[in-house]
Amino acid sequence: MGAITHTPAEKTLIDLLDGAEDWRAAARDAVVRFGLPTKRAEAWKWSDLRRASQGIETAGQARFLINGETAADRLTVSEDAALELVAEPGISVASLEIDVPAGARVVLKERYKLADGAFPTARLEISLGEGAVLERVVLGDTPQDSIPVVRTRIRVSKQSHYRQIALTFGSKLTRNETHITHAGEGAEVEIGGVYLLEEGRHADFTSTVSHTGPGGVTHQLVKGAAAAQAQGVFQGKFKVEQAAQQTDAKMTHRALMLDDRAEIDAKPELEIYADDVQCAHGNALGAIDETALFYMRQRGLSEVKARAMLIESFLAEPLDMISDDVLRDELAAILRQRLGAIG
Amino acid sequence: MAAVKETIEDVKKLEADKYKYGFTTDVETELAPKGLNEDIVRYISAQKNEPEWMLEWRLDALERWKQMKDPTWAKVEYPPIDYQDIHYFAAPKAGAKYESIDDVPEEILKDFEKLGIPLKEQEVLLGVKGAAESAAEARQAPKVAVDAVFDSVSVVTTFKAELAKAGVIFCSISEAMRDHPELVKKYLGSVVPTSDNFFATLNSAVFSDGSFVYVPPGVRCPMELSTYFRMNAEGTGQFERTLIIADKGAYVSYLEGCTAPMRDENQLHAAVVELVALDDAEIKYSTVQNWWPGDENGKGGVYNFVTKRGDCRGKNSKISWTQVETGSAITWKYPSCILRGENSRGEFYSIAVTNGRQQADTGTKMIHLGKGSTSRVISKGISAGRSDQTYRGLVSVHNKAEGARNFTQCDSLLIGDQCGAHTVPYVECKTPKAVLEHEATTTKLSEDQLFYARQRGLDEEAATALLVNGFVREVLQELPMEFAVEAQQLLKVSLEGSVG
Repeated sequence: MGAITHTPAEKTLIDLLDGAEDWRAAARDAVVRFGLPTKRAEAWKWSDLRRASQGIETAGQARFLINGETAADRLTVSEDAALELVAEPGISVASLEIDVPAGARVVLKERYKLADGAFPTARLEISLGEGAVLERVVLGDTPQDSIPVVRTRIRVSKQSHYRQIALTFGSKLTRNETHITHAGEGAEVEIGGVYLLEEGRHADFTSTVSHTGPGGVTHQLVKGAAAAQAQGVFQGKFKVEQAAQQTDAKMTHRALMLDDRAEIDAKPELEIYADDVQCAHGNALGAIDETALFYMRQRGLSEVKARAMLIESFLAEPLDMISDDVLRDELAAILRQRLGAIG
Repeated sequence: MAAVKETIEDVKKLEADKYKYGFTTDVETELAPKGLNEDIVRYISAQKNEPEWMLEWRLDALERWKQMKDPTWAKVEYPPIDYQDIHYFAAPKAGAKYESIDDVPEEILKDFEKLGIPLKEQEVLLGVKGAAESAAEARQAPKVAVDAVFDSVSVVTTFKAELAKAGVIFCSISEAMRDHPELVKKYLGSVVPTSDNFFATLNSAVFSDGSFVYVPPGVRCPMELSTYFRMNAEGTGQFERTLIIADKGAYVSYLEGCTAPMRDENQLHAAVVELVALDDAEIKYSTVQNWWPGDENGKGGVYNFVTKRGDCRGKNSKISWTQVETGSAITWKYPSCILRGENSRGEFYSIAVTNGRQQADTGTKMIHLGKGSTSRVISKGISAGRSDQTYRGLVSVHNKAEGARNFTQCDSLLIGDQCGAHTVPYVECKTPKAVLEHEATTTKLSEDQLFYARQRGLDEEAATALLVNGFVREVLQELPMEFAVEAQQLLKVSLEGSVG
């Protein structure tokens, strides 16, 4: 295979990372050699980043804000905080490393503030100390014309508890990657995800949970709904290493297709090297239950209203993982409002 | 738990040193020189007296193959294969096809007898001597017609005369090319195109023998058809090609078995199987794959890289794959169904056992194109020793496939902590008028039954064991009688403690 011809977005990204060190250098090298990932790359087969980024030529700016202030490259968070990813139009790179010290209990509210035409590729590294509890609540309310690619790596120490709930409405291409190293030994991981995609939008939840120590517990529930020409992607992977005996891991993905031209793609994957484990995954795709719809209309609800209620009750389940009632109600309200728009 | 212990013991019995098909048979063999090039392809074609169009087809495949690379996406590891170090053709001397069973060399008959495939049957029932007078008579006693493939050639096909009475064509593919060129031309490569994938392309260039079946409209094939593949010669590979066509309203059940001698080298088996089911037709294809798996240290064994695909071309057609996979050092195999016809149905039932250093990456593809097409996938994997096993499957529903329905269940069981079991299902859906379900736990599926069994006084473990055992039996029951016995011996295992 000869050298590839770079797209304008790739050229801009290569220039942007010129002279960079550490992971940026590795990222630049990957783009130089292979370009941005296309559907030919196994991990991106349903999210063609190279194609989505066509038309983006300029470099932009992206940064993380913590409680409204520009964040340093690395920081310690030991109490509740608001995290924001802000990006201007064009291709950009942002990075942040967060330490949650041993024993701390933190709720991290994460929001994306993206301009039209913003293509931020963000790297987030989170490390939980022993016995720490982190609840990360992510709201991906992004403009249609943006391409957020957020890759988060989380190190979960023993006795610690990591809970992540993400609600996204997608965009031209939205990639939400979560990679967790799970130490087991009393540690617990919960991952909740909800996507509601209006016409022409795309959202991709990709996650891996690597169980490295014994007795880890993981629970993942992702639910989604896609309208016409929208595409929902779920790629979940549980890896259980030989040392991770007595792992208890469960993965569920369910999605509703709201229109004839909707598309849902799923790949729930298990890679297991330990024999005394409980691992399961379930995946179900279908349309709204016509019987339930009929029943509700019989009770006097309009079709639009009945559909919205059914979709809402279907989608809202992962939001119940949020421990803070106010925060949960806030996200549920945003979801309801968007459902009204789909109607 | 007793059930688990039993399982472990049963799997141990399958260990390498217990392989009872590892003998070699001394037959004078004619070998093509090692290597792969145009001359070898011409040699193979000439050996088989093929028509010119067939040679062109092969040479075209060879050209394409030269441009291709070994696939690397499967979760299997093996040193690079030297494709120039293989004999692509090996045939017992003294002619490829024997006119009568009496002409078949005694060594080969004995070889098949040792494998439990008596080609002589009862002399009366023998195809070459005297066939039953009518199809009705043939139906009286259950019989199996066998196409015996020894290295690169089909040595004998039994019950041909009797099958011909019903209009069924059952012969080696080389014979079919000569006697029924119109059928071969029409269907060969129509399900698995020449350049479908690396191994299928290789097969297209060098395929030797294999079976050809054509069941005419409205005919229910009066007996089970089967092919027994035997790799005997050293340094060879086997590249057979099977083509089965069930015309409108026809039904056929086909069995495939395979074994190879124990050798230190890795032998390559790259087969292609194509099935075509027209309107209202049904094909049932069953495999018991027991190629030499290599010893416990991973030395030797067969690389089983096969492409199997069925095309449900007509409305209400049905193709069902049932496989029991216990052999081969490496398995790379995805029997698939293209559900093109309206209300067509695809089924895949699989039990795979890996032990020693075996690696298996296997599963199925169900491509739903037709309205109301349905499919069912049941896969049970058992890994033991230091083996590694992956279920890799695709369920794809196109936007025209309204009313499509799929149910997939894949369970794995690990025995010991040195092995691996993986599940990689792909699901792609482009219409809301489809229902796709993928399940991976036994308890979840049978919650109601479990409750029922417990109500009858069984504790949870006993109830689960009962249900799981019952379920495996159901998969085994998908196999025709003749194979079920053999398969059960290979697989007296319960699936206690399954993981997704």
